[in-house]
Amino acid sequence: MPRRVAKHPILGDLEETNEIEFEFEGQKLKAFKGDTIASALIDNGLDIFGFTDSGKPRGFFCAIGKCSSCLVIVNGVPNIRACITLVEDGMKVERQKGKGNPVW
Amino acid sequence: MVKKVQALVIGAGPAGLCGSIAMAESGVEVLVVDEGIKPGGQLPKQTHKFFGHEGFFASIRGFEIGDKLYKRAIDLKVKFKMKTTVSGIYEDGIVLYDRDKEEAYDIKADFILIATGASERFISFKKNYLPGVYGAGAVQTLMNQYRVLPGKDFLIVGAGNIGLIVAYQLLQAGANVKAIVEASDKVGGYLVHANKVKKMGVPILLRHTIVEAIGEDKVRGAVISEVDEKFRPIKGTEKELVVDNICLAVGLQPSVELAAQARAKIEYIPELGGYVPYRDENMKTSVDNVYIAGDIASIEEASTAMIEGYIAGYNIAQKVTGKDLSEKIEKMKIELEEFRRGPFSLKVRRGLKKFGINYPEGGYRTEQQKDDGPAGKLRVKIECPQNIPCNPCETSCPTGAISVGGNINGIPHVNYDKCIGCGVCVMKCPGLAIFLIQEQEKHSIVGIPYEFELPEAQERVLLLNKNGEIVGEGEVEKVVKNNKGKTHIVFLKIPKGLENEVRHFSKIKLEDDEIVCRCEEITKSQIEEAINEGFTDFEELRRYLRISMGPCGGRVCRLQTLSIISMKTGIPISELESGRFRPPSIPISFKAIIRGDEKDEI
Repeated sequence: MPRRVAKHPILGDLEETNEIEFEFEGQKLKAFKGDTIASALIDNGLDIFGFTDSGKPRGFFCAIGKCSSCLVIVNGVPNIRACITLVEDGMKVERQKGKGNPVW
Repeated sequence: MVKKVQALVIGAGPAGLCGSIAMAESGVEVLVVDEGIKPGGQLPKQTHKFFGHEGFFASIRGFEIGDKLYKRAIDLKVKFKMKTTVSGIYEDGIVLYDRDKEEAYDIKADFILIATGASERFISFKKNYLPGVYGAGAVQTLMNQYRVLPGKDFLIVGAGNIGLIVAYQLLQAGANVKAIVEASDKVGGYLVHANKVKKMGVPILLRHTIVEAIGEDKVRGAVISEVDEKFRPIKGTEKELVVDNICLAVGLQPSVELAAQARAKIEYIPELGGYVPYRDENMKTSVDNVYIAGDIASIEEASTAMIEGYIAGYNIAQKVTGKDLSEKIEKMKIELEEFRRGPFSLKVRRGLKKFGINYPEGGYRTEQQKDDGPAGKLRVKIECPQNIPCNPCETSCPTGAISVGGNINGIPHVNYDKCIGCGVCVMKCPGLAIFLIQEQEKHSIVGIPYEFELPEAQERVLLLNKNGEIVGEGEVEKVVKNNKGKTHIVFLKIPKGLENEVRHFSKIKLEDDEIVCRCEEITKSQIEEAINEGFTDFEELRRYLRISMGPCGGRVCRLQTLSIISMKTGIPISELESGRFRPPSIPISFKAIIRGDEKDEI
């Protein structure tokens, strides 16, 4: 967990929480229970959540569900906001390109 | 079947929570919906102490305020639906979308309180789309709520309160803040927030902006430049910074979509943050059963959002229950009036005037305190020069020595006959703007509010002034821990005369490979050690360490050595002995001297 803030002068030491495992682009990654998809990806050093239609890399911007910059594909479903969706054990997350071709 | 509630509150931030509390305590059945995972809106990511007065949680840290309000609402049987988005407000109903269940369904409400807050503004610069460009609030959410730092080195764009607060919180989380750039010619946020980061060495570059993010796949750096009076970048003044994150703290815009869908009249009032719903002084919009509160109404503070929530809540409750709640409403209106008298509320006052709502200004103390109190006595020194709505110094003082002079926006003054130097106000002050000072016989004492990893008693430290410049060296006398509030006091022994200079300190790093004298390979730590042993004169150090006795004759190391002596002893270089300048000024071979002597002519 390379980007975790383990010690904090106000919030104290990071509490022990259960680790879970999820998949990103086919790669197995670890996260803490209570992480959003966004915080889990950032902690794993992954800043690119997807690509725009024209192929530009896309990260997240607002972290509170307002900007829609962090859309990813979760278990095959596109347009999931990574910043306000909790990561789950066994979840399969993929980078989304453009609008993600939603299926009706 | 379509469900029906008496009151629907959209948004579980400070405004929505207080609105729901006001309604529920008056007997109204309330449902609060919010998109987020945790109630509290943006409070759970705020690790700093809030301003205001204790009635609205001043001196309490944001995340704790969120917990308190949520608990109060739950105790009053307010129902919450988190992870639920209001996807639309129609004439015949409100559509809620439950993310977890993947269900969208209709509800009806007699009254709606819309407290959807605001979203972060985005600005244009080259490659602003790169991953690593974040809203400042996003970085706060990540580091304080989820305890993940998205990088090591940060550039912050904007020196309003959010930019300044995030910079300070980044330092607390262990990141580096390379700079804060601000396009205007002054810091927009509170000076006390700016001082917290300036004294830690973070440069605030006024009249500067970002022009480009560097990187292909993600941010690897940033180009900043100076701007002219029209905020246009000045060519030729560009500078590159190596950063992996760019935080935009360039303002917020009210989230008005749902209010507009509820057919509330929306107007463009820049002073209130852009497009805002029209509302009256009771927070009612142009639609009779639709109310608003908090940042959707005007970009302001959490304290005013709470008060507006109460005003809206009591007004709705009055209509639902038929009870007369005018006394409670009036009390809250007076609170709001008191808060908004100061200079930082000027824009809000001007904006609300356009809605025909007038708030009085002034009526607070503006004079700064002139005297520092009696030398030799342990006493406080308050450095809070702006009229900001805050008074925990006054209300926490056990001897009644501090007063802001009536209105909460007043400048605090200390009655030094009453101050006993107990330090309670130092720990309470949200601006970390109160220090303890005492002149003693051989040295002086300064007590500094401190929210970082604590030093050890007797540790030697570098003393920093309010701009983060090193002004000398001192020693930690003692550390007074504040386990509850987390603002500790570090008492330092400092050279006399620096009581009003020293405002921060840093650990001394002994780096063995920092060479001072290149000829003789003498390191900085060797010199510092020798000074600690008592060799405080340049000639003494020269003889003891061979410093400046090499071939360069001291050209490289003399001034550096003197500045180390000055730093350690507190004596300015101008008052130190410079040491002798002996010939030969460069090494000459004996052969040359002999040969020259043998000749008669030049």
